[in-house]
Amino acid sequence: MSMTTTEDNPKPRRQQLNESRVWHVYARRKYEEPLHEIGNVMADDVELAKVYARSIYDEFSWVEMVIIPRESIVTVIAS
Amino acid sequence: MATRIDNSALFAIFSSLADNKQAIGRRYAFWSNGAPALEAAVAAAAMTQDELGHARTLYPLLENFTQAHAQPEQVDPQTRTLHYHLAYLDDDFRGWCDFVATNFLLDTALTTFLEAAQNSTYEPLRQRARKIVQEERIHEIHAEGWVRRLAKAGGAVRAALAASLERLWDETLCWFGPNDDPTMQRLYQEEIIDATPDELRSRYLDKIMPTLSGLELDVPASFNASAKQWEPSEPLPWQRWDSIGRRWK
Repeated sequence: MSMTTTEDNPKPRRQQLNESRVWHVYARRKYEEPLHEIGNVMADDVELAKVYARSIYDEFSWVEMVIIPRESIVTVIAS
Repeated sequence: MATRIDNSALFAIFSSLADNKQAIGRRYAFWSNGAPALEAAVAAAAMTQDELGHARTLYPLLENFTQAHAQPEQVDPQTRTLHYHLAYLDDDFRGWCDFVATNFLLDTALTTFLEAAQNSTYEPLRQRARKIVQEERIHEIHAEGWVRRLAKAGGAVRAALAASLERLWDETLCWFGPNDDPTMQRLYQEEIIDATPDELRSRYLDKIMPTLSGLELDVPASFNASAKQWEPSEPLPWQRWDSIGRRWK
């Protein structure tokens, strides 16, 4: 893999395509169940994050799936 | 056996759709473990399954036509030797940018055709068109997301994307056929689809040009302000067009 840098973007080419945002994926199989965390995906683009969540966590016929950007989570207790 | 239908136009378009879907699926499959990120690889695998699934629902329709009589071996994808997919798909993708270009340009073109068949007078096509169009919404989001990512990366990455788009551009626009294309015109006259080749091309450009234009990716299309639609800005290379295979010679 080339490590070329460009004037437009000073990062090496490989790093330019590295995803940096983490999205937590929550889903439920029945409406009477609460949403629970089933995993996470990395994507800088929210639309791509939605595509990735759907394709990776496709083991069940979910009735609802949501994604939450990690940076929006507020820690209340941390040990 | 049920009575077979004599419709060379439908037979030709199903052959082209099925072969293109099959070839796209095979090319995508190679990238199911070679995409730039794990998430993208899983998405590529899912889209591979979708494309091969679309081909699998289209090939059996060929048996319904009298045109299948002459060469029954051409109906089954296992024995079929004709390859009516775009010439762009003859060879392996040169890189991830070819995957994204196929996803963004060609798959969207096929979807534009299927959108025009959602109220088709031919029920087997109508049913399949609605299902495929629904599944393709995810593919379109994936394509647009990756075009944005690669274009915004700048430098050599953006240049590689532009090169892939350029190589596929003309052949994809040609796939709809010249406006007097007998196959597409017959489908239009029989209300199997609701648009002429020029109208399909215009709808297609309306779908893809906002993304390309917004990213300032230079392609030969311009906005006709009076008609309020996008149009090819250069004549398409019809001398390279093979009307039987619906691909370049």
